[in-house]
Amino acid sequence: MNLSIKQLFGRKPKSSNIAKQRLKLVITQDRVDVDDRFMTRLHHELAEVLAKYFEFSANSVKMNLKQEGNSYILVADFPYTKFHDMSMRR
Amino acid sequence: MGKVIVVTSGKGGVGKTTSTANLGTALALLGKSVVLIDADVGLRNLDIVMGLESRVVYTSMDVIEKQCELNKALVRDRRVDGLMLLAASQKNNKDDMQPEQMKAICDKLRTTYDFTLVDSPAGIERGFRNASAGADEAIVVTTPDVSAIRDADRIIGLLQNVEVEPINLVINRFSPQLVGNGSMMDQADVLDILNIDLIGVVPEDSGVITSTNRGIPLVYEDGSPGAQAYMRIARRLTGQRIPIPDLEQKGLLSSIVNWFTKKK
Repeated sequence: MNLSIKQLFGRKPKSSNIAKQRLKLVITQDRVDVDDRFMTRLHHELAEVLAKYFEFSANSVKMNLKQEGNSYILVADFPYTKFHDMSMRR
Repeated sequence: MGKVIVVTSGKGGVGKTTSTANLGTALALLGKSVVLIDADVGLRNLDIVMGLESRVVYTSMDVIEKQCELNKALVRDRRVDGLMLLAASQKNNKDDMQPEQMKAICDKLRTTYDFTLVDSPAGIERGFRNASAGADEAIVVTTPDVSAIRDADRIIGLLQNVEVEPINLVINRFSPQLVGNGSMMDQADVLDILNIDLIGVVPEDSGVITSTNRGIPLVYEDGSPGAQAYMRIARRLTGQRIPIPDLEQKGLLSSIVNWFTKKK
């Protein structure tokens, strides 16, 4: 639409577009880093709930936020050693 | 009940103090009662930008230390009705103030004044936490460059954590010409990254420098583009619906000009 002559001839891209792309990348990374405290809290609360259902060792747990395209995916590994027998619990 | 609005940015030098001075004066010119609080303890500047530096007797620190009543510490701006300034102490530092103490001052002012604007220091530490402690809403000031926008994003996250809402964005020092030739991000680019509501775009205006030299806020100069932009933002703050004009320089003529004055 608003292409300059330079772009039509395949010269340097507009520096404003470069700025925007660089910012988008770095801000996405910043936001994930800032969420460290949030992740720690989520980790503790998830562990509390899951501990009702199965046994796992707390230091084998891994949690990560991953980005794919525009969305985040929470990946949580809770390697369990055994299920609690839920039928006995009631 | 009035509103307490923190004016903040993360990065320094993007125009927080200029914006606070001009928006406060503009709101008073619109007939609102306004208090401006300088929250930059130890590096106070709002008084000199407002041209009120010779009239400051007491500061917010004197109020906190109960050396004087809040009302007595407010400096009345004689150029317009209903505009007051609460200066920051220059001999203290940010750690001498607790967020709850600033909140107590804001809570009192809210009951009397339509608008309390808190000029936040740069940074994300104690000074920012003090400045935002009593705020209902926030105005985040940024310029259209990578460092200011990155810092604005960080500040927006922190404000959202403490449930300051709404958070409105002011894009300052916008150059229609640079945007027109692709050397500066436009408002759509900035909003796409920061994803908050825009309340105004202030064009680059050399009048800001001369008005600061004189201690007379730009909004007193009716004709200047910066003054007009600040007046529009003030009207929006009072609830008026005023469209945000597209300041970008486009069209055939500027395209031709741009082609001859190629920018990297």
